[in-house]
Amino acid sequence: MTRRKFLKAATAGVALGLVGGPSISFGKEEYDLAVISGEPVAATKKALEAMGGISRFVRKGQQVVLKPNMSFSRTPEFATTTHPLVVATVAHACIEAGAPQVLVLDHTLQRAELCLERAGIHEACKNIPKVYVLALQERKFFREIKIPQGKILERIEVVKEILDGHILINIPVAKSHSATGVSLGMKGLMGLIWDRESFHSQYNINQAIADLGTVIKPVLTILDATRALVSGGPGGPGEVMKPNLIIAGTDPVAVDSYGVSIVPWYGQNFKGRQVEHLLAAYQKGLGKIDIDQLKVFREKV
Amino acid sequence: MRTIIQGLSLLLFSALFVLATYKLPNWLPADIYLGLDPLLGMNAVFAAREIISRALWSLVTIGATLAVGRFFCAYVCPMGASIDFLDFLFFRKKKRLGLKSETSLRRSKYFLLVIFIVAALTGLSLAFLMDPMSLLTRFYTFFIYPLALTMINLLLDVLRPVFGALGWVTLSHQHYFQSVYYMTAITLLIFGGIIVLNRFVPRFWCRYLCPLGALLSLISPLGVFKRRVSEDCNECLKCQKTCPMGAVTEDPRGTRLPECIQCRTCAKVCPQDAITFPASISLGGEYSKVDFSRRGFLYSLAGGLGVGFLAMQTPFAFKQSKHPLIRPPGAIPETEFLRTCIRCGECMKSCLTNTLQPSLWESGFSGLWTPKLEPRLAPCDQNCNVCGKVCPTQAIRSLSLEEKTHAKVGTAVLRKEMCLVWAQNKICLICDEICPYNAIVFRPVEGYRRPVVVASKCNGCGFCEQRCPVQGESAIAVVPNGEIRLKEGSYIKESKKLELEFKPDPGDDKFIIEESGFKVEEKKEKGTLPTEKPQPKKPKGFL
Repeated sequence: MTRRKFLKAATAGVALGLVGGPSISFGKEEYDLAVISGEPVAATKKALEAMGGISRFVRKGQQVVLKPNMSFSRTPEFATTTHPLVVATVAHACIEAGAPQVLVLDHTLQRAELCLERAGIHEACKNIPKVYVLALQERKFFREIKIPQGKILERIEVVKEILDGHILINIPVAKSHSATGVSLGMKGLMGLIWDRESFHSQYNINQAIADLGTVIKPVLTILDATRALVSGGPGGPGEVMKPNLIIAGTDPVAVDSYGVSIVPWYGQNFKGRQVEHLLAAYQKGLGKIDIDQLKVFREKV
Repeated sequence: MRTIIQGLSLLLFSALFVLATYKLPNWLPADIYLGLDPLLGMNAVFAAREIISRALWSLVTIGATLAVGRFFCAYVCPMGASIDFLDFLFFRKKKRLGLKSETSLRRSKYFLLVIFIVAALTGLSLAFLMDPMSLLTRFYTFFIYPLALTMINLLLDVLRPVFGALGWVTLSHQHYFQSVYYMTAITLLIFGGIIVLNRFVPRFWCRYLCPLGALLSLISPLGVFKRRVSEDCNECLKCQKTCPMGAVTEDPRGTRLPECIQCRTCAKVCPQDAITFPASISLGGEYSKVDFSRRGFLYSLAGGLGVGFLAMQTPFAFKQSKHPLIRPPGAIPETEFLRTCIRCGECMKSCLTNTLQPSLWESGFSGLWTPKLEPRLAPCDQNCNVCGKVCPTQAIRSLSLEEKTHAKVGTAVLRKEMCLVWAQNKICLICDEICPYNAIVFRPVEGYRRPVVVASKCNGCGFCEQRCPVQGESAIAVVPNGEIRLKEGSYIKESKKLELEFKPDPGDDKFIIEESGFKVEEKKEKGTLPTEKPQPKKPKGFL
């Protein structure tokens, strides 16, 4: 699929998704996770509904930061970046819920203009008013904060926007990672810090991710597992599987832990507990790790 | 009228310069000014000893000069325009110092021209030193462009709070990537020198030094438009004093035709309106001969040959394959590359990542200002192929993205004693994470998964070298070994022949567990491994 074709389809998809479907009420029951199988737009919309609707997280007048993965200048089919339609759908929902503006941010690994161009997220969000897709590569856009509960990290420079009272929604893509096993929501938060390299050179990256999780707390994590890069991650190219799933939840560890279970990584099945940085996050008390104890809403759309 | 045309030309030159960057559309010849320069064209064709199709554009300039005269200097040349403009700015009201030995100075440009052409014939590309188009493009690249970026970013920083308050989100997060280069100061000094020379006489450079002007002046007396002074002349000598080229002779009715650039300043200042530029086909005349002595010609001939010899006197001149420079992808074989490259700096300007940098003395005199990759600074991005597109002499070939991917510039080599994983058992995978070609794989060695470069998948892009978190020198570095330099033909075919594989497609990454194992036996003396236990059965990060 060429990029152009893809984006056309993407735009059409968003439009369709936004028009269609009466909303379904789920009563009072609250789920830990929503696991929706289906096309990106429909599944994302359904997942938001299942989690109580976007208005549960975004109140009128609240600024929103979305953190997809758009760190690599690869097109969506490589599964190294979040599906543009998933991001666009969430962004649109936030605007509809009354957010005055939505910032879609990532600290990209490759040159910003290339990442923005190739990942397709910029294009998909282009026509949604008040949604800004920004790749930040300059230190001036970051500010240092303390990590009081950090085991190894004491301070860290993070994107200013997430400190200024904005609501953070994490929209990672599901992929393998040659240092941390998988790169899902918890690992994806590394895209909001300035000095990513120190996680590799100075610290134990797995503990550092858990420490980071004590200060960066997304209100919602929407794991894009429409595709999963099950090997060759995080940069690809690698084997791409198509679980066709959107996994949403407020508990970042639970979402990731479930994400670990959906496909074999590098040809092997793992549990969340077997992923070192998830276990560390769980031990920090950041969330639940055993998925059989979670209340999961499953549906196919 | 003339100043407007001149100004527009400078503007066009600048606009094309700005546009010469990533996503340059294929139809836009951003290098057209350099292509129109017959001196650069001749220089490259002579030195490379073959016809370079893009250099043929310069025939347009030759033809127009033959027909019209040396108008190029006054109307088209952006260097002339810059000199005129800066002259107006700085020296307009100053009394010029003047010069005594005008005639002999005037000759020097011809001597320089001969030196450059002879040097080119010996296979040394040298005209870049003084060719105005090359010089100005270089000045723009190494000075104007970084300066402009700094100013713009400064302005953005100052206004950032305002943009923020106004809710202009994109502007308040705007920042332009700051390109930096070696040799900025040197380039500025050279250009500054050229401007300062105007303190003596206006257009000092054009009158006495410019080899392109010299070349054009050789044929300009054939042009149709010539200065004519009518009977009304009262010999006030105003024209003689104001002529920026010193083309008016002692007797104000005479014109040194090779020097006249048809700017018509004389006609404008003449109180008698006695000066016109009618079309006439008269040839020759007293002042149409080029000032040139036989002795001077012989000297400059010898000079050219001498420089040609001197330039080869670097230890690696004949052993270029053993030289550690990494050239841009698509650069033709080194000997031809050095002969063809005109050092305009356009490739370095257009380089998306700023990895292309000018060489100083790395490959001697003959390699001055030639582009090299500096992977520790920045990588060569797999999605960009602009350097070849803008190269006016195709010393860097214009390649499609796929061809460019196969134009291997070198191979990454891992220095184990510096690598955090090999030497310190740390969990680092940055080189693997960023490698666009999956050329770095992890293999279990002594119970740990350690990075290894698969040379046949590495095209030398340098992402690994740039990203390596080791301080100072990188623990993984690109060396020229394995580079593919083709003068013609397909890089894809060549790399197939060499059994190389640069796959941007998914699906070629089956190596991780099954093949590369984790079946390796555990290391026996476990105690020496400091932090974690070896986990031979599982990939990194899983417990």
